[in-house]
Amino acid sequence: MQVSCTQENLSRGLGIVGRAVATRTTLPITNHVLISTDNSRLRLSATNLEIAINCWIGTQVEEEGAIAIPSGLLTDFVNSLPSENIDIKVAPQTQTMEIKCAKSEARISGQKADEFPPIPRIGEGITAKVDPRALRNAISQMVFAAAVDDSRPVLTGGYAQFSGDKLILAAADGFRLAVHNLGLVAPAGEEAGVIIPARSLRELDRLLRDQADPVEITINPQRSQILFRLKDVEIVSQLIQGNFPDYNQLIPQSHTTRAVINVAEFLRAIKSASVFARDGSGILKLMITPGEGIQISARAEEVGDNEGTIDAEIEGQEAKIAFNSKYLMDIFTILEDEKVALEVTTPSSPGVFRPIGDDDWVQVVMPMFVQW
Amino acid sequence: MAIQILSPLVVSKIAAGEVVERPASVLKELVENSLDAGANHISVEVSGGGIQLIRVIDNGSGIPEDELEIAFERHATSKITSESDIEGILSLGFRGEALPTIASVADVSMLTRYRDEVAGTSVILENGTIKNKKRQGCPQGTTVTVRNLFENVPARLKFLKSIATENSHISQLVTQYSMAFPEVKFSLLMNERITLRTPGNGDLRDALVEVYGLETAQSMLEITTNEGGVSGFISPSSVSRSNRNYLSFFVNRRWIQNRMISYATEEAYQGMLMTGKHPIVVLNIALPSGDIDVNVHPTKREIKFRNERDVFLAVQKAVRETLVGYTPIPNMRVSTPLFTSPQLTTIPMPIKENMGPSSSGTLLARESCQIETTTQLPILRLIGQLRNTYIITEGPDGMYLIDQHAAHERVLFEKIKEQQAKQSVEVQGLLEPITIDVTAQREDFLRSQGEVLSEAGFTLDRFGERTYLLRAVPAVLHRQNIPQVLAEIIDSLGELQSSDWRERIVVSLACHGAIRAGQTLNIQEMEELMHQLEETALPRTCPHGRPTMIQFSVSQLESEFGRRG
Repeated sequence: MQVSCTQENLSRGLGIVGRAVATRTTLPITNHVLISTDNSRLRLSATNLEIAINCWIGTQVEEEGAIAIPSGLLTDFVNSLPSENIDIKVAPQTQTMEIKCAKSEARISGQKADEFPPIPRIGEGITAKVDPRALRNAISQMVFAAAVDDSRPVLTGGYAQFSGDKLILAAADGFRLAVHNLGLVAPAGEEAGVIIPARSLRELDRLLRDQADPVEITINPQRSQILFRLKDVEIVSQLIQGNFPDYNQLIPQSHTTRAVINVAEFLRAIKSASVFARDGSGILKLMITPGEGIQISARAEEVGDNEGTIDAEIEGQEAKIAFNSKYLMDIFTILEDEKVALEVTTPSSPGVFRPIGDDDWVQVVMPMFVQW
Repeated sequence: MAIQILSPLVVSKIAAGEVVERPASVLKELVENSLDAGANHISVEVSGGGIQLIRVIDNGSGIPEDELEIAFERHATSKITSESDIEGILSLGFRGEALPTIASVADVSMLTRYRDEVAGTSVILENGTIKNKKRQGCPQGTTVTVRNLFENVPARLKFLKSIATENSHISQLVTQYSMAFPEVKFSLLMNERITLRTPGNGDLRDALVEVYGLETAQSMLEITTNEGGVSGFISPSSVSRSNRNYLSFFVNRRWIQNRMISYATEEAYQGMLMTGKHPIVVLNIALPSGDIDVNVHPTKREIKFRNERDVFLAVQKAVRETLVGYTPIPNMRVSTPLFTSPQLTTIPMPIKENMGPSSSGTLLARESCQIETTTQLPILRLIGQLRNTYIITEGPDGMYLIDQHAAHERVLFEKIKEQQAKQSVEVQGLLEPITIDVTAQREDFLRSQGEVLSEAGFTLDRFGERTYLLRAVPAVLHRQNIPQVLAEIIDSLGELQSSDWRERIVVSLACHGAIRAGQTLNIQEMEELMHQLEETALPRTCPHGRPTMIQFSVSQLESEFGRRG
């Protein structure tokens, strides 16, 4: 194998696939990155067996070939090089990569490319296209609600439901539920519901950052893997097998109190109350009084307490409800809306946050049971 | 007092002490008789912890009318006839002691019809002799009713544990036999409430569903290696319990206790379970009767093997192979850090030796002396985190290492206790109730003592037979595997006096809610933890009594580096 490329391209590519390199693993080759020629480009691949990322960079290919190189070592070395052309050479049979750039030269021992775990290829299946900005927005508004413990594996992922020109993303961890609807640029051929690991969604979010073109999504016919095709980058994730709970029945259909609140003002109030709630599990008590507003209070035992009132347009009865401040912060720090509605029934039934005017998303949060 | 031969009544009561220790042992003898009689349907009825009533109804062969009198004689049995039979015992019982000894310590009545007779016979015994015998119609099989157990042995009665404990021994016993004999339909009626009912269809997994709940039973791995006669089901490494009550061993389907087999099993799980965790195992070892001796102890719970080593290896191999065969694909998310950095192993040996147990032992000893005089923490400056487990700090006299888990455990422990004292426990509601399947023993506990859990913040609603809905949990647990934590708490309470329960729950909650060793903390988090630890009443030990921090004094560091003395 003999190729040459720019330091910037290689460094950027290694940075992208590096996210999928396994860190602690029983399979040592998974902390390598697979470098192979693909027509006139260089393909970098990495996998931790859950996520695989392929990235193509422009290269001049003199001689075809492939090799697996320890990712950390190669990335650190390439990042330390000046931004000039890099010549890469792997002599047949040696499994040693020779890298030359400006006045630097290095040799890194690798492993045979065919020992690298196969990177899943998804050719056909259910496909759809989505706008990268809308997808990022949706992921950021639901992925935090996925469960962190493994007791119910289906909850550690985000549920993606494709139907027609709609994509619904949902996540729940037993205490809260986040659902986001978005439109597809190209509708899905058939209906499908799959569970994508939260980690894969976060990596996808990161990779979407500098994307402008629509993202192509393909689910393999076995519905075990999902592929996101970006410009020069592909990310393939295993899907979590199992049935996601029927989240629609977890969204309360009625309420007795509805308060329209200003997001920025509410965030400021919960932030300052959270300082006092930090000592405990972060209990924030909300007293909703029609005609007056919402009083938000928190106390830290023997240290002090905090009370703040914000204005709100309130319909219905007087209500009170207590939340874990972390759950409110998770929601309100990512909201882009100016105003949202809070719907409440009793102190022990779920609180619901909705946008005003449309139904792009809904956040359901289970309250904490406290003495009032 | 002159030496004299004891009267038969006294002799029988002494012997009774060996076989009939508690209500569960009476039940064991009766159930074994039913099984030996070839019954495929055994129903057990118990009330008052088995002291008031034990009734065993079977559809076995029954006892012929003319043999009834002899049945209640000592050393009368139909199961063996000659000395040589003892070498090859196939039945569960053989000593011919059960009925007479039970009759000597309780009021016994029996209704039985032998399979070849048209009418049944009922007898009532008083003080071990048949008082009232009459013919009576009844289905084939035997019903034995034992009332007022130990009424005439006050000493034994006094030493019995609470009714709940006896109930738990009884349900444990029936549970074990229902797993050993999946082809027999068992039902257990405790205080007029069905607590166990197995299908008796011969499929052990179906019996496990009844005993351990659907989810656990489905996850159990079947041993198919056929190694040395070992068969049964074992839990995968992802399922575990916090005590050894879930290890069931049978030899030729006789429920036994044997440390060696238990050890062989746990050995096979070596490295797959966290310390302090134990598997769920239901194992039967089929051995030629000549290779075992069950005639070691009257209760037959202990057993001798001719080739103990072979049995050990067979069990270990069967369990290990089954486990390895099912080990899931390595999952990156749950991998635990064994070494945060490979360089750690290259620390030169001498340093390690000096840091060894002897020196830290003396440090700890001095620490514990200081607890009495001062419980305040010194002012500490944060330096960093070591192996994602210890927080390194500098204090007035040297270096202090804080165990992040132990420290957080202490913080949470005091906080939860304070909340409980003020009856303001922080409770987080669940969006969707979690269904919890419980064993018969746990169900019994939840019914009678469930309050202690609701005080701690678990909101449990009964939802049918041995199923509960968990609607809210203590807020500290919000990121945990809640069903598992709850199961562990219930299990651990079973072993304790009720006065210790509250404390134990708080310790468990604190332990599960606390940050783990191996969790990366940022500077703010570490400072916050140190700050919270400073405010606790007993900052130097965790609720289990382990130290939260150890100190390396300046003088010790200087002497270790050879700067002084």
